Amino acid sequence: MKTLILGAGNLLLSDEGFGVHFIRHLQSYRTLPPDVELFDAGTLGLMVGHKLEEADRVYIVDAVAAPGAPGSCIRYAKEDFLLQRIPIKLSPHQVGVQEMLQVSLLRGRFPEEIYLLGIIPCSLEPGTGLSPLLQQRLPEIAAQLVSELSTVRECSG
Amino acid sequence: MLRTITLDPVTRIEGHLRIDAEVDGGQVTKAWSSAQMWRGIEVILKGRDPQDAWTFAQRFCGVCTTVHAISSIRAVEHALKVEVPVNAQLVRNIMIAQHSVQDHLVHFYHLTALDWVDIVSALKADPSKAAQLAQSISAWPGNSATEFKAVQDRLRSFVDGGRLGIFASGYWGHPAMKLPPEVNLMAVAHYLKAFDYQRKAAQAVAILGGKNPHIQNLVVGGVATAINLDNLATLNLERLAFMRTLMEEARDFVQQVYYPDLLSIAAAYKDWFAIGAGVTNYLAVPEFPEDTRNTRFGLTGGVITNGDSQHLRPIKSHQDDYLLGNIQESVARAWYSGADSLHPWKGVTEPSYTDFQADAKYSWCKAPRLAGQPAQVGPLAQILINYAAGDARVRRLVDEANAKLGLTLRDYHSTMGRLLARGMRAYLMADLSLEFLDQLIANLGRGDTAYANPTQIPDGEFQGVGFHEAPRGCLSHWMVIRNRKIDNYQAVVPTTWNASPRDEKGVPGPYEASLVGNPVVEPEKPLEVLRTIHSFDPCIACAVHTIDPEGKPITRIKVG
Repeated sequence: MKTLILGAGNLLLSDEGFGVHFIRHLQSYRTLPPDVELFDAGTLGLMVGHKLEEADRVYIVDAVAAPGAPGSCIRYAKEDFLLQRIPIKLSPHQVGVQEMLQVSLLRGRFPEEIYLLGIIPCSLEPGTGLSPLLQQRLPEIAAQLVSELSTVRECSG
Repeated sequence: MLRTITLDPVTRIEGHLRIDAEVDGGQVTKAWSSAQMWRGIEVILKGRDPQDAWTFAQRFCGVCTTVHAISSIRAVEHALKVEVPVNAQLVRNIMIAQHSVQDHLVHFYHLTALDWVDIVSALKADPSKAAQLAQSISAWPGNSATEFKAVQDRLRSFVDGGRLGIFASGYWGHPAMKLPPEVNLMAVAHYLKAFDYQRKAAQAVAILGGKNPHIQNLVVGGVATAINLDNLATLNLERLAFMRTLMEEARDFVQQVYYPDLLSIAAAYKDWFAIGAGVTNYLAVPEFPEDTRNTRFGLTGGVITNGDSQHLRPIKSHQDDYLLGNIQESVARAWYSGADSLHPWKGVTEPSYTDFQADAKYSWCKAPRLAGQPAQVGPLAQILINYAAGDARVRRLVDEANAKLGLTLRDYHSTMGRLLARGMRAYLMADLSLEFLDQLIANLGRGDTAYANPTQIPDGEFQGVGFHEAPRGCLSHWMVIRNRKIDNYQAVVPTTWNASPRDEKGVPGPYEASLVGNPVVEPEKPLEVLRTIHSFDPCIACAVHTIDPEGKPITRIKVG
């Protein structure tokens, strides 16, 4: 099963860049399963919509403006995408991921599994680093995801 | 009856844009364009090493990554008078041209097609007739009745299952939709297919750039791409051959699918060649440098004033004094404090938010002016200017389209004119990408192996500007370097020119002016406003993009 981990965010606006920092962190791992692709999607514009069709299982990692404590990670699954429970405004890119996925559905190329790992940011001020809180949360969330990838791999293999 | 329409945000664009329009007697009488996001970009670059600026600049936006990288690196090269070897110019030219191919494809099919194509009407089409029609306008092998039938079946299951919400931002069934069902079906089939070809163009850029989005191969003074035609460990002939195949496939799709589709749509909506002119001052900068000093270019630049193509003011180099000396940005009506109109090297970015005030400040967008006047930028500017300058290829494309559609040059000052010019530009970029590749291989074959002039930043004060004719038009990055650090940085982006608010004299920008006189049949469904705004290909995504999980409606359309 091919897995794509797609980090989205604007690196210039502190915690907004969480998804990109997340990918950079995972690139330092030596234990990822071989069929996992890491992809820095930047601000996830239309120009990368086609990536979502390139795997059986997709994890999108992004900052979300949800109510809740900064640093919390909210997980959305395929049904949320299909039933449009993911907020339509996934980005200022108004043809958001959700709409791109629906086009993929119409093309018959929808990924088998898709998740959004949404982290609630602390700061969106101009700046190229994460806030201390998210800096601390990043390796924890990454470790959880890596352990999930390994577990699933063992079960299916 | 006077009514006001507020579209907030405008859908199917990159970024957050709000449009307010006053409508009287079925026509827009006044309009305001308001960028709803603040870019903190300039602030972030201050104090950094000029050599690294491009890696930050390409994070401004998710679409325009490559273009900001190019402009930024050119700004340093201009400041320090660094020459760029021909091989490096060609590598950059291929990436620039191929990036445009992807960008224009995405715009046409995924951002604007649904303004003109009624997706539900496609269900009524006869797939065989649609295939016959498609085959009569194009040699593209993918236009079979079987393929169109399969698309129609899938679409029907979506509609029957009540899942048309995916195109929630499309106005199907709107009285302004005019295409016959067969054309709608053909366009929907190509809309779905276009995904595959934008991917090919993106892959081609990644082969040279190392990564896409966010190319990795630029250095001040050239490129870091290691090309050795015979060496397996570097970019060799085999990789370049693969890249060529990708670019040829993308070219065939652009020239045999996108462009014929566009001509069909233009023929059916000829009335839109008389709507949406707006500001008819045009600015384009020369692009595709052919020498090491940015003085000879594949396509020229220039200025057209008041739509008068007979009196083109040519801009032949990136060091043109008129161009360098006459750009200013006004903040009289934008949410910034400070003096009114400043040259970008003296530019200040200090936010001062007041809320939307139509008679005072109402946008995060500054108002760029060329010699005190607003200017429209983008493919239309580039095509009109190169036509006026006598470029043979541009002349052929324009003359052929004019003969086919019964147009004159005057008709290009319009909403449909902008779409047509973008299609022509895509057509041209698809060819140019391959020509630059041929030139690169020929130059390598002649034994020229220079890729970069390694450059150190000296002490002292320098200022430079990097011009780039990007997919959305004239882009410029203005940089002041003091003692090896960035002292000031201002990006004057194409959408700033076009989405510009009024200036200190109250003169509207191109979006605002283009909406005046625009028809609006149903104020609750202002499809016509979207057509004109989308024709500019707005991209103002240079800021926050966190998800809003409240699931607010896509667009608030308020009719007052």
